Amino acid sequence: MLELQIAGRSFGQPVLGEVFATIERGDRICLLGPSGIGKTTLLNAIAGLDKTIPPKAIIGRDKLRVGYLFQEHRLLPWRTLNANLQLAGATTAEADDHLASVGLKDYSHYLPDQLSLGMARRAALARCLAVKPDLLLLDEPFASLDPVMAGELKALIAGIMDAHPRMAMICVTHDGGDAEILANRLWYLDGRPAQLQWDDAVGEPRLINELLGKLRNSEGFDMV
Amino acid sequence: MNTFSGRPPAWSYWVVLPSFVLLWALIAWWLKSPLLPTPLNVLDTLIRESASGELWHHLGATLGRVVVAFILAMLLGTVIGLVMGRSRTTNALFDPLLVLMLNLPALVTIILMYVWFGLVEVAAVMAVVINKVPNVAVTVREGARSLDYRLEEMATVYEFTRWQRFRDVWVPQLFPYLMAATRGGLALIWKIVLVVELLGRSSGVGFQLHMAFQVFDVAAILAYSLAFIAVVQLIELAILQPLERRSSRWRQPEAAHA
Repeated sequence: MLELQIAGRSFGQPVLGEVFATIERGDRICLLGPSGIGKTTLLNAIAGLDKTIPPKAIIGRDKLRVGYLFQEHRLLPWRTLNANLQLAGATTAEADDHLASVGLKDYSHYLPDQLSLGMARRAALARCLAVKPDLLLLDEPFASLDPVMAGELKALIAGIMDAHPRMAMICVTHDGGDAEILANRLWYLDGRPAQLQWDDAVGEPRLINELLGKLRNSEGFDMV
Repeated sequence: MNTFSGRPPAWSYWVVLPSFVLLWALIAWWLKSPLLPTPLNVLDTLIRESASGELWHHLGATLGRVVVAFILAMLLGTVIGLVMGRSRTTNALFDPLLVLMLNLPALVTIILMYVWFGLVEVAAVMAVVINKVPNVAVTVREGARSLDYRLEEMATVYEFTRWQRFRDVWVPQLFPYLMAATRGGLALIWKIVLVVELLGRSSGVGFQLHMAFQVFDVAAILAYSLAFIAVVQLIELAILQPLERRSSRWRQPEAAHA
């Protein structure tokens, strides 16, 4: 449903190298890689936020509805949660439903700054759902959460993906453990400029950590 | 002294101004000159002018010009400021002109408008607008430059319409700048309106000041000035402060969860 033909260098994008990949419906991709390598840049490129990357490099993007969970919640602090979801295209009732589905049933009229970090992130996730997305982009959804809250959010996202089997997901994370729970496909981004060093389905859970260990240790690991 | 903690006590607002009026009364009483009337004299003039209807006629004329000029200047200035703040090229093109306009004395604009268009209402209001627009534009430009790029990205991803982006993303962020422009604008505009009236209109507070000046009627000059200061203060209390409270409510929401 989506085809990436990012030739980073020739677009003048300083961080990304050549990234060629296709994303199918139902793909649950975990995007791993060292800090600062360009994972968020790649996500922004897919979301169409990177001005250096021409739209034709992301084939099929204009036909897809995209829900993007940013690292910060990026809800409008001067609008209630319900109003925030309505701005993404939901009706009042739909907004309430989406909020309830992420466990924020009674918080419809709250302002984002009245919520804890974990709740605000769930509210932002509800906004992703409000656009009825074909593709869900998650940028480190579990960062800065305590293990319990991170676990709950992981289960919530897994539940959402199970409920929408035709939805695709790309989730940036540092933790191979997240991939075991969420992913059916693994991307590993590394190098300068950054390229996909690994793009394959996830096999046995055990293998992920083994594979990550190998990928992380291999300095100058070339294209797969 | 609790200079740094909490609100100052309520009485502290009622010290300097009453003392000043008392001082004025004492000096006026001691001098006994018509060039410095006592506060009671001024009040007397105010009541007389108000009873005859003169005061309301001229206050109304001035207020009308202030309101029209203010609305036009805010609209134009906001648009120019937004465009210049969002586009570097536009900013580079028009910045020299903006600096020129900022430094153009109000009196020059007024005289030129009257010379070119005659002593008519449109020329008077245009002169005020031209004086004020650059100030608004500069303030709003500052605000437009500081718009949060993260919310811009969010609005792009979630395909906000132009109107949604303006009303829900930009205006709340620009609000403090618009308020600053409004406050500064009101104070500046009514002073310029007085000059405009003095030079070429036959109604308004400025016109009355002109008449009073010709016969050195200081009591009338003070009465009319104080009356309009009161009007501006009323606008501040009745419109601007409630608006600001309403629009800033989200800044200090009560925490629901730690």
